[in-house]
Amino acid sequence: MDHRKSTRFMLLVLSGVFAFLYIPISVLLALSFNEGGLPTAWTGFSVKWYGALFSNQDILGAALNTLIVAVVSTLMATALGTLLAIGVEIRRRKGRFLETIIFAPMIIPDIVLAIALLSFFSMLNVTMGLHTIIFSHVVFNLAFVCAVVRARLKNFDWSIVEASTDLGASILTTLRRIVLPVLMPAIVAGALLAFTLSVDEFIIAFFTAGAGRDSITLPMQIFAMIRFGVTPEINALSTIVMSVSLVALALSQRLNRGGLPGQ
Amino acid sequence: MSKPLLSLQNVEKQFGTFKAVDQVSIDINENEFFALLGASGSGKTTLLRMIAGFEDLTSGALLLDGDDISAVPAHRRPVNLMFQSYALFPHLTVARNIAYGLEMERLPRKEITARVDEILETIQLSHVAARKPDQLSGGQRQRVALARALVKRPRILLLDEPLGALDKKLRGEMQLELKRIQDEFKITFIVVTHDQEEALVMADRIAILKDGKLLQIGSPSEVYEHPNSRFSAEFIGVMNFLPVVRSGDGYQDRNGAAITATDRGVLGHGATLVAAVRPERMLLNPEPHLNQLTGRISALAYHGLDLQVHLETPSSPQPVMVRLTADAAEGLNLSIGDTLAVGWSAKDTRIFDA
Ligand SMILES: Nc1ncnc2c1ncn2[C@@H]1O[C@H](COP(=O)(O)OP(=O)(O)OP(=O)(O)O)[C@@H](O)[C@H]1O
Ligand SMILES: [Mg+2]
Repeated sequence: MDHRKSTRFMLLVLSGVFAFLYIPISVLLALSFNEGGLPTAWTGFSVKWYGALFSNQDILGAALNTLIVAVVSTLMATALGTLLAIGVEIRRRKGRFLETIIFAPMIIPDIVLAIALLSFFSMLNVTMGLHTIIFSHVVFNLAFVCAVVRARLKNFDWSIVEASTDLGASILTTLRRIVLPVLMPAIVAGALLAFTLSVDEFIIAFFTAGAGRDSITLPMQIFAMIRFGVTPEINALSTIVMSVSLVALALSQRLNRGGLPGQ
Repeated sequence: MSKPLLSLQNVEKQFGTFKAVDQVSIDINENEFFALLGASGSGKTTLLRMIAGFEDLTSGALLLDGDDISAVPAHRRPVNLMFQSYALFPHLTVARNIAYGLEMERLPRKEITARVDEILETIQLSHVAARKPDQLSGGQRQRVALARALVKRPRILLLDEPLGALDKKLRGEMQLELKRIQDEFKITFIVVTHDQEEALVMADRIAILKDGKLLQIGSPSEVYEHPNSRFSAEFIGVMNFLPVVRSGDGYQDRNGAAITATDRGVLGHGATLVAAVRPERMLLNPEPHLNQLTGRISALAYHGLDLQVHLETPSSPQPVMVRLTADAAEGLNLSIGDTLAVGWSAKDTRIFDA
């Protein structure tokens, strides 16, 4: 095969892969704007399914729950994950064991984690609801935030911490005025990633939500609705969830690449 | 002399079983420019970090104005450290970097601004006050690091290789600048360096460290003219060493020539000895009562004001270096291969253990 032919072949493969990845999503997106609502025929552009969405109390309630879970678990995971990352980095010389076990929640299959959390809550006799979902999301988000912040800490210049101490700052002041601001791009990136993961997390939420309707999140709501077939409303809802995730993810990547402010 | 400002008493630092600093005792006076000089790994940074409060003392005491400060945490010690890597805060502007230490003292805003402006003026960096550290040149960064520590007006300013990252020309300028600033601010400076020339130029007194031990302490001329060991002699300036053996009251070199030294110059009493003499102490046309040697010129190097002559001689395994002033060399028409006799007096001779 000569060079031009192989280039063309590779382009073909690439297009194939992208088509495979994005056609289903594009179809979903398109159908959410389909006037007639049937997947078989395009009858014109309309946003009426989005309108229908916003008058559906079940969906609005689920969206609110998802927002609460995502925001609260992100805040908690970000605070804890950042401190954890800093602590682990400081203790790094004491061995790599800590590093390995922190990241376990990232690698363990969701279903296993979900069952583990469910058993844990039942064992403690905790009434389940939004709070248990939040707690569970903190568990895995913590690992993700920690991973992102740790990546940044790898080339963190620790001498600025000593410089701050030398200039008269206590440990807490140094953390607040020096360490956290320098790490901020990574912390925000980690938080956005955590938010994204939390918004569309289904399995763990499903297992730890308890019985009531009060603690249904958006993915759970979609799952419930889909049992009666894919409706155009679901397409619209999925499009919104996807957009939120994409924006958060893009922001997160951008921040993490941009380096320190002014650098 | 008055009471020392800082007194290190048998200070020791052990990492595991390794002694990085070994029984060091030094008294440092108010307003002194003190240099810690030593090769890489000799424990200079460790000693400085102990004074700053970043390393505990394994044993010994650290007195500031007579009070033991070894238990005072780093952020409460009235000493400041200028880091070898500068350690500027990357997210703060030059002005905010410098203001940081004053903000920690909770000084009024007005005073902070005034003092930051004043010091920016002193280091001639007012025009970059609003920049971040990564927008500065190496020399500018170095001065910001200096200003950040200096603005706190510490009792003692510790400087770890402050000029290490600068190029040669800038380093020469900054050596004088540092002295000027020290004089202006009337603060005690302790500077770590491995550059003997730098120590000689800047310091009022020099301490020479080797393998964590204090070898010698004294003014630049003392350590240059009266090194107390072969290591000090070798470390500071250039020194010729001739292997000698004891012979009656005096010594004899490998060639059988008699070498004499004054009592004060005899610092070694072991079995293998060397006679040491500085290149600039060697004279042409030696009178008979001087120590002397004859050799063949193996290299000549002009250095503006003086001429360095390398002599190969049976008296020494390495070539002997002789430094002649341009005046003395004039008209001699020295060239490689010529034979030259040089001499030096007994008072310029030191006897060390080899
Ligand atoms: N935290 C530490 N743990 C173990 N050994 C250490 C530690 N810090 C320093 N050392 C050792 O102590 C010795 C002295 O180190 P130090 O940094 O004080 O040397 P230095 O004179 O400043 O050298 P340089 O000129 O290279 O900066 C070295 O052998 C070093 O390896
Ligand atoms: Mg050092």
